[in-house]
Amino acid sequence: MTLSAVCYHEHLLSMKVLIVEDQLRLGQVIKQGLTESRYTVSLARNCEEASDFIFDNSYDAIVLDLGLPDGDGLDLLRKWRQSGLTVPVVILSARDSVQDRIRGLDIGADDYLPKPFSLEELQARIRSLVRRQSTIKTTQLRHGDIEIDLLGHTAKYDGQALELTNREYALLEVFMQNPGRTLSRTLIAEKIWSSNFDVDTNLLDVYMSRLRSKLEKPGQNLFKTVRGVGYQLI
Amino acid sequence: MRSIGFRISIWYALAATFSLIGLSIGGYVLLEKHLFDGLDLLNESEFQQISTRLGPEYQNISAPFIEMRIRETTESASTLFYIEIQKPNSEVVFRSSNLKNSKTPEFEVPSKFNAVIPEIGEVRVATFPMQPFKAMIATPLHTVRDVMSSYIRVCAALLTGMLLASLVIGLMISRMLLAPIRIIRDTADRIRFDNLSERIQIGEVKDEVTDLAVLLNQMFDRIEASFTQVNRFTAEASHELRTPLTLIRLHSESIAKDDSTDIKTREKAQTLIEEVDRLTQIIDNLLFLSRADAQAVSLDLKPHSIKKFLDNFKQDALVLAENSNNSFELLTGEDREVNFDPRTMRQVLLNLLSNAIQASPDKGKIVLSSFIKESHWLMTMEDEGKGLAPEQCEKIFGRFVRFTNFKDQSHGSGLGLAICRSIVQLHHGKINATASQNLSGLKIEIKIPCHGDSFFT
Repeated sequence: MTLSAVCYHEHLLSMKVLIVEDQLRLGQVIKQGLTESRYTVSLARNCEEASDFIFDNSYDAIVLDLGLPDGDGLDLLRKWRQSGLTVPVVILSARDSVQDRIRGLDIGADDYLPKPFSLEELQARIRSLVRRQSTIKTTQLRHGDIEIDLLGHTAKYDGQALELTNREYALLEVFMQNPGRTLSRTLIAEKIWSSNFDVDTNLLDVYMSRLRSKLEKPGQNLFKTVRGVGYQLI
Repeated sequence: MRSIGFRISIWYALAATFSLIGLSIGGYVLLEKHLFDGLDLLNESEFQQISTRLGPEYQNISAPFIEMRIRETTESASTLFYIEIQKPNSEVVFRSSNLKNSKTPEFEVPSKFNAVIPEIGEVRVATFPMQPFKAMIATPLHTVRDVMSSYIRVCAALLTGMLLASLVIGLMISRMLLAPIRIIRDTADRIRFDNLSERIQIGEVKDEVTDLAVLLNQMFDRIEASFTQVNRFTAEASHELRTPLTLIRLHSESIAKDDSTDIKTREKAQTLIEEVDRLTQIIDNLLFLSRADAQAVSLDLKPHSIKKFLDNFKQDALVLAENSNNSFELLTGEDREVNFDPRTMRQVLLNLLSNAIQASPDKGKIVLSSFIKESHWLMTMEDEGKGLAPEQCEKIFGRFVRFTNFKDQSHGSGLGLAICRSIVQLHHGKINATASQNLSGLKIEIKIPCHGDSFFT
């Protein structure tokens, strides 16, 4: 499923998402939230309904809860992948252990979001999955006056080379890959430290303030702090 | 393995060898007695011959005549027998020429004994009454001694052989006896949380060992049941708690983002979101601890370079310490491949560092040292805070224990060190807290076996 860049933008506006969630109220809240962001959303409450929806429609992404009344979400996913379904799947799970997470990704999930999550984060992950399938690989990224070289791991601001540590560069790269999007603390920690434990400490905030002090001029705001969620590169 | 098998074979070898020693001593005594009896018989028959030769009227025969007659008898046996006939007052009547001038032992009649005659050596003596004289006939003992020393040599060789053979046989027997126990041990060792349903094979023959195996299997049944229960409980608790939390969070978010709501309400919704996150963190930690207690967490303990791991951690530690106006120092010894899980071990170090920062005064120094000692990886984290009293040091790894010396009293959930301890224990290691000797504050020490084998086996 490769899409051209032009098609991708049009596509984003009418993105079709299937939510498989047995808790009706939660399902409805997610559905409402995504609909407000102009997604077209279907809600399935068990494996059978989900399979019917999949059979009748084509979706851009599926949000799958694992504990379903008539079966396990992982078994359902395995069945889909075996039958050749390539739609990106985000697993929503109350199971938090690393083993569950690894098993989910092994079976063919594209992302794994532990409950409780924020709606913005869910949207960000869905978008990044759909984008992952469609973007053409580049080695240079540009946003405003910031420019980074993915191969050389170097960054420039206003044409001036920036002196960044490994971690600061990694952090900037995560934002440059997702400009204008709110990135959750968990997501950033996963990308930089391949672990979400660091969320406990203020390590991420410390790095953010270092990155800001290196990039932002007095009175300038390149990054927005989204309370309770994370950060956004404006 | 070494202990019981080794002990069985040693005991077996000792028992076999001592039995053989006992038998050999008995044989020695019997053989010697038998040989002495033979000599006594020879002496007696010689005396009979002499008596016959002398005839019944030997009292009336003159001494030279006696001597002549005896010489005729003993001519052929002169080297075999030493003969002396004495008067009751020990005056010599006859003395065989092979005695030369050697002094013969004092004797009473009749008797049998061993004696040493100068220049001739050890002899077996038999004495006989020959009224009014007394006669002594002696036979050299060296033949007996030769036989006995050969006997001792043969026995010694047999004993050595026996000792070696019985050691080998003992080892074989102990291996055979312990084979079922070894199978039990291997199976029990293999049974981990991911193959808890495996059981020890029960042999067809009913004996003490199969009884033990049956008992162990029953124990594994119980462990598996409680393990499954814990797992199911944590999964259910997790699900039951997280779904409503998700709803609270999503609703709070929508209030916080709703521009038509007044700013105070939105602030409150924002606080709700933060509290939901805190609660989630506590639930995660508690579930981790309960799973760790039930040994239901498996860590991927693979060899990793400790230098690489610590250098990576140092980057972040320096930044965190600097941010709170403290300094961080890493002291490392030799590099080594140690079996550990970098992800959780990093969590332990971050937790300790975050505690140390909380306890440190302004411009305080925090030192992490790592070294290898006797196949263990030792790490210590020391700070310049006020430290803790010894009785507090023992308690801090408990759950919901808070430090009294923290700058920010609301810091953390009170589960951080309990999680650290669980993680270290999952690495088969130990963690403890003492007063730092180098710095003024607390010293946390972690000790992990390099090869992942347990401290307790």
